[in-house]
Amino acid sequence: MGRRMSVADISYVLAIGGLATVALTILVGPVVIVLLTSFGDSQSLKFPPPGLTTKWYEALFDASQSRQIHRAAGNTLWVAGCATAGAILFGTLAALGLARSRSRLARIADTAFMSPLVLPGLAFGLAALMYFTFLGLRPSLELIMLGHAVVIVPFVLRTASASLSQLDPALLESSASLGASWLYTLRRVTLPIIAPGIVAGGFLAFIASMDNVPVSLFLAGPRSDMLPIRLWGMMESTLDVRVAAVSGIMVASVLGLMLIMERLVGLTRRMRD
Amino acid sequence: MTFSAFDRRAFLGAMAAGGSLVLAGRPAFAKGSVTAAMYPGSWEEAFRKIVVPALKTSKDVELEMQPLYAVDQIAKASAARGAPPFDTFVLDPGPRVSGLDKGLYEKFDAKKLTNLGKLPEGLVDEWGATVAAQVVGMAYNPKKLPPPKNWTDLLKEPWVSRLGLTGFQTTFGTVSIIEIAKMYGGSETNVEPFFTEIKKVLPKIATIGAPAAMAGLFQQGQCDVIYANTQTVSTLKSRGVDIAFAKPETGAVAFFTTMHIAKGATEVENVYKYIDTVISAGVQTELAKSPYNFVPVNKDVALGSDLPMKNLDEMSKFVRHDWAKINPLRAGWIERFNKEVAK
Amino acid sequence: MTIAIAGGALDAAGTGGRRWLAEWQLALPLGLAFTGFFLAPLLILAVVSAFDDEQITRIGFAQWIKFLGDPFYWKVIFDTLKLGLLTVGATVLVGYPLALVYLGARPALQRILLFIVVLPLLTSVVVRTFAWIVILGREGVINGVVMALGLAPAPLRLLQTEFGLVLALTQIEMPLMLLPLLSVMSRIDPNLMSASAALGALRWRTLFRVILPLSVPGLMGGCLLVFASSTTAFISQSVIGGARLVYLPLLIWQQSLVVYNWPLASVAALTLLISVTACIAAISLIGRKIARHVDG
Repeated sequence: MGRRMSVADISYVLAIGGLATVALTILVGPVVIVLLTSFGDSQSLKFPPPGLTTKWYEALFDASQSRQIHRAAGNTLWVAGCATAGAILFGTLAALGLARSRSRLARIADTAFMSPLVLPGLAFGLAALMYFTFLGLRPSLELIMLGHAVVIVPFVLRTASASLSQLDPALLESSASLGASWLYTLRRVTLPIIAPGIVAGGFLAFIASMDNVPVSLFLAGPRSDMLPIRLWGMMESTLDVRVAAVSGIMVASVLGLMLIMERLVGLTRRMRD
Repeated sequence: MTFSAFDRRAFLGAMAAGGSLVLAGRPAFAKGSVTAAMYPGSWEEAFRKIVVPALKTSKDVELEMQPLYAVDQIAKASAARGAPPFDTFVLDPGPRVSGLDKGLYEKFDAKKLTNLGKLPEGLVDEWGATVAAQVVGMAYNPKKLPPPKNWTDLLKEPWVSRLGLTGFQTTFGTVSIIEIAKMYGGSETNVEPFFTEIKKVLPKIATIGAPAAMAGLFQQGQCDVIYANTQTVSTLKSRGVDIAFAKPETGAVAFFTTMHIAKGATEVENVYKYIDTVISAGVQTELAKSPYNFVPVNKDVALGSDLPMKNLDEMSKFVRHDWAKINPLRAGWIERFNKEVAK
Repeated sequence: MTIAIAGGALDAAGTGGRRWLAEWQLALPLGLAFTGFFLAPLLILAVVSAFDDEQITRIGFAQWIKFLGDPFYWKVIFDTLKLGLLTVGATVLVGYPLALVYLGARPALQRILLFIVVLPLLTSVVVRTFAWIVILGREGVINGVVMALGLAPAPLRLLQTEFGLVLALTQIEMPLMLLPLLSVMSRIDPNLMSASAALGALRWRTLFRVILPLSVPGLMGGCLLVFASSTTAFISQSVIGGARLVYLPLLIWQQSLVVYNWPLASVAALTLLISVTACIAAISLIGRKIARHVDG
């Protein structure tokens, strides 16, 4: 816009730009430190690292040195994947069901469904173990999944609800008046609009499951070793640098995933054009 | 729909488990297995490297481990009352007494251990056997501080302003605080003098934190003197951390790590084989070496040069505590600590 | 009002109440799972809290009375809620401007920003606490800068202060604020903003009159997630906050795992649940009021 910037506009740019820079620094700073530490050539987590090396990543990928970490990572990904799938299904359905209802019951249900996020994991983990034992179930990977799914549903529900609330009613109205079935409207109108919300919530849910310590701690049986619990042990007793390298892998894989998706989306867009 | 999804998941889980069994080539004809709770970190690593193969070759028993701290083991076993998620506990004295109070252990028949004669007097009782000792004293950064000579030094300059303090949550924290209290006229059951003294220096103390964070805080120079056991000090030292152990003039504190059979355990016979293997001379020798640095309890095993004693008999002169008396008081001490220390 | 019109549209399309019922039933699967796997364990907690002794043998409200009769615990409750509010405030203060920058950025830059926003989630909580020790510590990054510039005679105490903890929580919780916010803001019609600008409105005016009202649902969603998550963030609270700052999750941990007083631990857990849920209900009520005000 060719308009000359007024003093107010300059203050806007300075204030918003300044605060956003602070936000970026806060977001990135600790991650940079973790990444630098993961390349450190000291024998224990130390910052600043005395020198740089990739040996901790080599150790992390080496099956003979890190088999337990691999097993725990496999369990953790499997649990997080299944729990997130469940949370997305149940959470989205509930968001669809509650978003447009004005009834007091729906409001109460909406707030109640948030409570798993509010109850400390430790208390939930212990109570869930008592409950499942009472039902005659033994700690296992499946129980961890169930426990995680319950705890991470609020992420999907909240983000999906937020997206739903900006759905233009005129769209639904016109779709319905054109004779579209409810399901068709859902598939062609509603879901595309709330998809970003569901993806965001699903991502938060997946990560929350991957990082969960207390629920896993109490619902784990033999052979259901989970990654964050293993990392705690490595960190507390030996300051093992591989703990930082695990985060390096996470950052690299998500970056890789985003680039692949970018290419795929780019390709489909070009094919369509 | 829910049920079919769940069945499918269970089916996939079973497939994955079956697949990994085949891949790992797990021998189907091992005599049996035992599931042991194990401290996460260096303990689990050491047991995986040393005890698992030893138990497999000598007794043909598979060892599965569940990484859990002592306090978590007690909580988990009491929440799953009657159906313990593991066969054995490994515990420090505080949680050991809690478990005893809650009736979480099976009776222990020491005569089933072939290595019974190798343990010093008093390390086995009707509830379990000692598998390692812990020696607690002070740890400091030799590049920044002179060695503290006594527990009271922790509350004096130059140490106090570099002190990393932890509360009563851990066994080593509790015994250290008791020792400080004793120096000011307190006793095993009276830590009042500790609170009086600590109040005077509270603003100077560098860090009052969570035990789990102490290694990281020490490494990054947030605090330069802490109380710790010899195993932590040796392990961190071998990883390049500037840390040294200082034995207080009044003597280091010793306590024992014990193993117990969980009430309702399914593999009781294998538990004896497991504990017997852990205390055998061969395994104890390996555990005592770097990087694991256990304090052994088998009389045939030589002690590491890092340790503040030459043989196990000397350890009987170390300071010991009666946890049956301490445990009932701990809730009150923790509450007191919260209130005194919180701003 | 959006909701009313949407409901009306559906009612008009279907046969009145039946439609509404069908819609409502979509929440049933979650409702059942919630009842079976969350309310039931919660009920156990409630029952356990109604015992006097640690062995759970004598029914009574001694633990509730002890807990609620002690001003220290009221302070802990207050501090915990305050921590949540401060974290929400900090994440909104710096997160919202970042969302505005995202909104105005070209697609390529948007994707880089999105990656930066999710970065904190990719470092495990275990090693994240170590990073904050490095940053806030006595010999840490911030103090290094402060000392080099000669801004203070001695290293500042940042670690294990409320300020340090809120700063660390701001990083950890910012994705929870930004992801809902961005998914809502990215659907705001860009024409509205350019129209506002074309009409000569100042940018501040466009922000407060156009963008902010339209992003309220995302902002509220983010606030709720951040508030709930920061009040229960036990590991960050205890490692970065230290023992000088006492919050409810620490009490729950001490009571359930160190001294095994499960009735008292349940009391603390339920107190946290009730007080935080009350705040959440209040926040969403305010959110709906604002949305209604804007719509009307």
